[in-house]
Amino acid sequence: MMQSELAIFCENLSKNFRIYQKKPGLWGSIQTLWKREFIEKAAVKPLNLEIRSGEIIGLLGPNGAGKTTLMKMFTGIVIPTAGQLRVLGFEPAKRDLQFRKKIALVMGQKSQLWWDIPAMDSLQLLMRYYEIPEKLFQERVGYLAKLLEVESQLQVHVRKLSLGERMKLELMACLLHDPQIVFLDEPTIGLDLIAQRKIREFLLNYHREKNITLILTSHYMADVTALCQRIVLVMNGEKHFDGSIRAFEGLMGQEKYVKFFFSEPQNENHPLLSPLHPQFGNHGLEVELRVPEDKLKEVCAHILKELPVTDFQTEKMPVERVMQELMSRTGA
Amino acid sequence: MFLTLKKYALIYREFFATCLAEATSYRLHFVLLIVMDLLFYATTLTTVDFIYQHVSAVGSWDRHQFLFFLAFLLTVDQLHMTFVSESFWVLSASIRNGDLDFLLIKPVNLYFLIFLRHIRPASMLLCSVTFFLLWHYGVLAGLSTIQFMLLPLLLFLALLLLVSIEIFISASMFWLVEGTGVNFLRMQLQQVSRWPDFVFYGLPRRFFTFVIPVLLIGNAPVQFLFSPFDYHSLLFMIVLIGFFWFMIELTWNKALMQYESASS
Repeated sequence: MMQSELAIFCENLSKNFRIYQKKPGLWGSIQTLWKREFIEKAAVKPLNLEIRSGEIIGLLGPNGAGKTTLMKMFTGIVIPTAGQLRVLGFEPAKRDLQFRKKIALVMGQKSQLWWDIPAMDSLQLLMRYYEIPEKLFQERVGYLAKLLEVESQLQVHVRKLSLGERMKLELMACLLHDPQIVFLDEPTIGLDLIAQRKIREFLLNYHREKNITLILTSHYMADVTALCQRIVLVMNGEKHFDGSIRAFEGLMGQEKYVKFFFSEPQNENHPLLSPLHPQFGNHGLEVELRVPEDKLKEVCAHILKELPVTDFQTEKMPVERVMQELMSRTGA
Repeated sequence: MFLTLKKYALIYREFFATCLAEATSYRLHFVLLIVMDLLFYATTLTTVDFIYQHVSAVGSWDRHQFLFFLAFLLTVDQLHMTFVSESFWVLSASIRNGDLDFLLIKPVNLYFLIFLRHIRPASMLLCSVTFFLLWHYGVLAGLSTIQFMLLPLLLFLALLLLVSIEIFISASMFWLVEGTGVNFLRMQLQQVSRWPDFVFYGLPRRFFTFVIPVLLIGNAPVQFLFSPFDYHSLLFMIVLIGFFWFMIELTWNKALMQYESASS
């Protein structure tokens, strides 16, 4: 693929941080005054990645895996230790003014809106930063506020808003200048289920309309499954997987997890259940089975016929289970 | 060029609007800042006035000349507090907690964004007081109309040297991460600059004139006003401003490469 078709291209990209260590207690504190010990930590180990324009990518991984560091290198906030990186054809480390006009970043745990003033004042400041003509600004504010349902919150002091409302306004602030690529670092963290769903719907609609590139990190697999076309799994600074969600789910083999609920307790050695790696719960009243995908229909029909089943469900979040399994395997 | 200036003027207008909106959110705090600054002026001026009740001259300056010098520095100080001081404190916190991230990705000159972002409207009101003091003691010190007309330029140069030194020093915050110490150093250097250079002798005087030239901030412009043929210090001050901006470019480029943000 031509580099020019790519939103992001990186080759052997790495970042090391120097982390100081302090021995505990008073003597440890005194010692650090003249001698500090440190370790060199590779937050991102040589990593190759290509992201096409218009893709929605989920950067997954446990805490400390290097996802946010990657985001910060992509945006030019943090300078890579080594490797080649191009974002929209620019070298982020140079922090070119034109590059900064084309990107946006939302961090779920940090705010770019001013705390003590209404969001609209912060938006007006952004209008000046990005040199958005007044008329276009009014149009975009109106459009985004309607889409995000925050028209009535624009004049309220940010400190008085709920977390969900604030996050919607953060999204609005980052999209105001019509960026070509948006980095979303845990945009739904701490939000209730309804707010999470609304943010996801908004992002999907916005992407459908603008075809921008979205790079998302999230610990909520619902975000990932709803939004992302492709997953990049990062663990201990290394890329462990890069592909579609379907392929990611297939990492653990072609199996489905099915849960059955019974009206009376079942024997753990029941011949129908025991070959399917049963995990019993609630004193034998429920069981989770791993069923080969090609036998799913047949096995389920058999159990429904033979056992006193009151309810059953197939797995809602296979991605989450794959993540858990991979993380436990690597000790992440 | 005109478009760039217009862009930055419009941004600055928004800075002012947002700072005013923020300041007036806490009205009592707003008033308290004004009262504190007034108290600071009163103690500074009355201390010198008290000294002159017992002596007729300090160094080569009489009472009015000394009070004019103080009024000049109080004005520089007030302009500094109004337009830049707060930004240094915010910078220290934003390096530590990673809030600088958002500034680094904005398509605006970084020095402008970091050092002119925070304005203190309460201090702005008090600039009128220091301007009055400057005029009052200027008249008493016998300044001519031309000398008064030179005052805005000299105030600007003094402020520019002070800010240049401070920006240069504050690059160290990126390595130290905790920048409170650097901010206290800045404040102590401002204290040194509030004295006439003849108060210092030997090494300290040379150090604060040639190495960290804070003594030039008030002394060079005021001495030039009192004796216009003594322009060498002022010229040296202008050269130093250029030198410091050259150094700022070098150190800040390195400092920004060093920035590691904070974990989220």
